Amino acid sequence: MGEVELSCRAYVKMYLHACLFPRCSINGLLLSSSSAGGAVCVTDCVPLLHSHLPLAPITQLALTQVDVWCSQTQQRIVGYYQANACVSDSSPTPCALKIADKIAEQFDSAVLLMLDGSKMSPDYRVPPIVMYERKDSRWTLKDKHMIMLRQWEETRAIAGQMMESGDHMQLVDFDTHLDDITKDWTNQKLNTKIAELASPANGNI
Amino acid sequence: MASVSEMYDVGWEEMRDKLRKWREDNFRNSEQIVDVGEELISEHGSKLGDDIWIIYEQVMIAALDCSRDDLALTCLQELRKQFPDSHRVKRLSGMRLEALERYDEANKHYDAILQEDPTNTAARKRKISILKAQGKSTEAIRELNEYLEQFVGDQEAWHELSELYINEHDYGKAAFCLEELMMTNPHNHLYCEQYAEVKYTQGGLENLELSRKYFAQALRLNNRNMRALFGLYMLAGRGTKENKCSVKAVEEMLESMQITMS
Repeated sequence: MGEVELSCRAYVKMYLHACLFPRCSINGLLLSSSSAGGAVCVTDCVPLLHSHLPLAPITQLALTQVDVWCSQTQQRIVGYYQANACVSDSSPTPCALKIADKIAEQFDSAVLLMLDGSKMSPDYRVPPIVMYERKDSRWTLKDKHMIMLRQWEETRAIAGQMMESGDHMQLVDFDTHLDDITKDWTNQKLNTKIAELASPANGNI
Repeated sequence: MASVSEMYDVGWEEMRDKLRKWREDNFRNSEQIVDVGEELISEHGSKLGDDIWIIYEQVMIAALDCSRDDLALTCLQELRKQFPDSHRVKRLSGMRLEALERYDEANKHYDAILQEDPTNTAARKRKISILKAQGKSTEAIRELNEYLEQFVGDQEAWHELSELYINEHDYGKAAFCLEELMMTNPHNHLYCEQYAEVKYTQGGLENLELSRKYFAQALRLNNRNMRALFGLYMLAGRGTKENKCSVKAVEEMLESMQITMS
């Protein structure tokens, strides 16, 4: 399977989502705005839930709404991420596999990303992520060398900085949106801030 | 760094009242509680009178939540001095050990409390929390079931059990817990809606029918419950001819609430 690239914006929002709900399991969708074929470039993410992840109705609703938004904005759903509440166990849960399977039905090179909570402290200098890809109908660990994060140090710095300044409180996931429907789950405000913080030389964020 | 009182232009009484409100409503906004509580204790401790002890407890728990062991220990030591033999304070010591992941020692603390007072529900619940933190869901579920046999009216425990069952994908048992909660809290729209979600997840004609009914009930109890509204919308048009809830009716409901599907 091919390379996967994770953009600054996607990583930072996933990270902030995990920071906003440190005691809950959280999940979300990975999106791409590049054309199919070649490397999978994850350019954005939509944070979904922080409660009752295995329950079907809201997940189905969210998938439908994100799908509609994607078709309006020339993006597609290319993967799924999850962080477990229990920090010691970062393996995919049955519900993670189910949702990832559904995404893989529509997109062959779909990825399943698990955030490893135990590696999210400032001392760790490597991305706290574990990625899975679909091989022979099973989700298997992806070769680390096929996962790229451009400008990792900068991305890491931006994520840390935004958390310190409390920006994670502004992140809206689908659950939050259902509690207050005026809140924007596409997180345009945060996208803008991330773009501002990233250096102009970063090119394709 | 500006103090809380400077940033928000509040006096110590307002800070104290805010803490009380958060306590009464059982909010877990730990970072805020630590900011406000730490300042209140250090700058205005003498003015608080006997309130200070409950504030120490509240701030200590919030400090544990934020990994502020320094602050937690300070609060705990003050409480220990004032209430040397208290089970309530002993439980707080246990919680601190839990936060430091010293689970065996924490369990010893709780076992000691239960030796002296077998009806101490707080200690039993902390022991179950330890199992949960260690990822031992099956044991946690078993212990919680045993607890509920004795303390059948404990709402918090029933809800916790429903969450544990949902995470284990045992939707039938989760539904049972929610049924208990709905019986004792017939006006709570959240329980109806969660029950509907579980039924929806179980699938099958009967369960979807029940799901639709309970989404509708949740909406009757609170017409602002968006999850219930969407749930009903998604189930509209399904089910038997006599029970069809037309999509049109739901759309009209949405319109009257002036909510647009973005």
